[in-house]
Amino acid sequence: MTISDEQVLEVVLQAMRATNLARDEASQLVVSADAPIFGSDSSLDSLGLVGLLLDVEEGLQAAGCDVVLSDERAVSQKRSPFRNVQSLVAYISTLARE
Amino acid sequence: MAARHVLITGTSRGIGESLAEHYLAAGDHVVGCGRSPSSLSHENYTHCALDVTDAGAVDRLFRDLKKRFKTLDVLINNAGIASMNAVALTPVEVARRVMETNFIAAFNFTRESIRMMRRSPAARIVNISTVAVPLRLEGEAVYAASKSALETFTRIAAKEVAPFGITCNAVGPCPIRTKLTAGVPDKKIQTIIDAQAVRRWAVPADVVNVIDFFLRPESSMVTGQVVYLGGVG
Repeated sequence: MTISDEQVLEVVLQAMRATNLARDEASQLVVSADAPIFGSDSSLDSLGLVGLLLDVEEGLQAAGCDVVLSDERAVSQKRSPFRNVQSLVAYISTLARE
Repeated sequence: MAARHVLITGTSRGIGESLAEHYLAAGDHVVGCGRSPSSLSHENYTHCALDVTDAGAVDRLFRDLKKRFKTLDVLINNAGIASMNAVALTPVEVARRVMETNFIAAFNFTRESIRMMRRSPAARIVNISTVAVPLRLEGEAVYAASKSALETFTRIAAKEVAPFGITCNAVGPCPIRTKLTAGVPDKKIQTIIDAQAVRRWAVPADVVNVIDFFLRPESSMVTGQVVYLGGVG
């Protein structure tokens, strides 16, 4: 599986845009490379996080990168690899290299 | 109704085999799996010989399914094993194997299926439990505990998958003449049947009937439920 960090970032941002389509104006996610995803700085709840991550998985699969984003730290406020865009991209890149 | 893609675990024999035959007759595409080969032969049936507790084999199955089908419409977690023994006499390895097969495997198949079910117009997950849970029979502690875990999982998973339009329910059959019940003493079976409102053996068609209800598109509001056969519970 070879996918660049830039490609991963674009998949993540695209999934966040898609998530926003189903969210009201007050709870839109900030779509940027340094935005929070899950935790006290984000309005995304755990079920919303699941939907977003499944969209990310699909986007990665379409780009030829078949990974499953399951992690025991998923909903940890401090240690979750899904707490922001930066940590998510780094996490996916590590998985893709395994 | 368009043909559905149905995945059933434990189709080598018993209830799983009957379910596969039923949905093939209904025109669905059925993928079955089990440790043994299947005697089913149908152009819309694919059998995958695997141990449902083998996570690597399950991962390969789902990778293959994703290549073949865009969506999965139905998952029936039917594979199960029993252990009829007193707690004091049950080896820990047996307890572990029962939990792995009856609960962990169902969890893993569910986890993988959610990813393929999001695009289905009426996705359904059905777990097979047992009346041994509400009856709390002596000698079935490990088996009933594993199915009890599956029931709680059903109720909570129902909440988590509802946003994706997926329902998750369970059916708890009373005794059916299968390989699983063949080793249970007649006296024990009679105790269970005597505890039922409808005092007879169930047949696979009784299970099919409940699952058909869960699978109907009109049943989209029915989720997180456990239905026992025979008036138990």
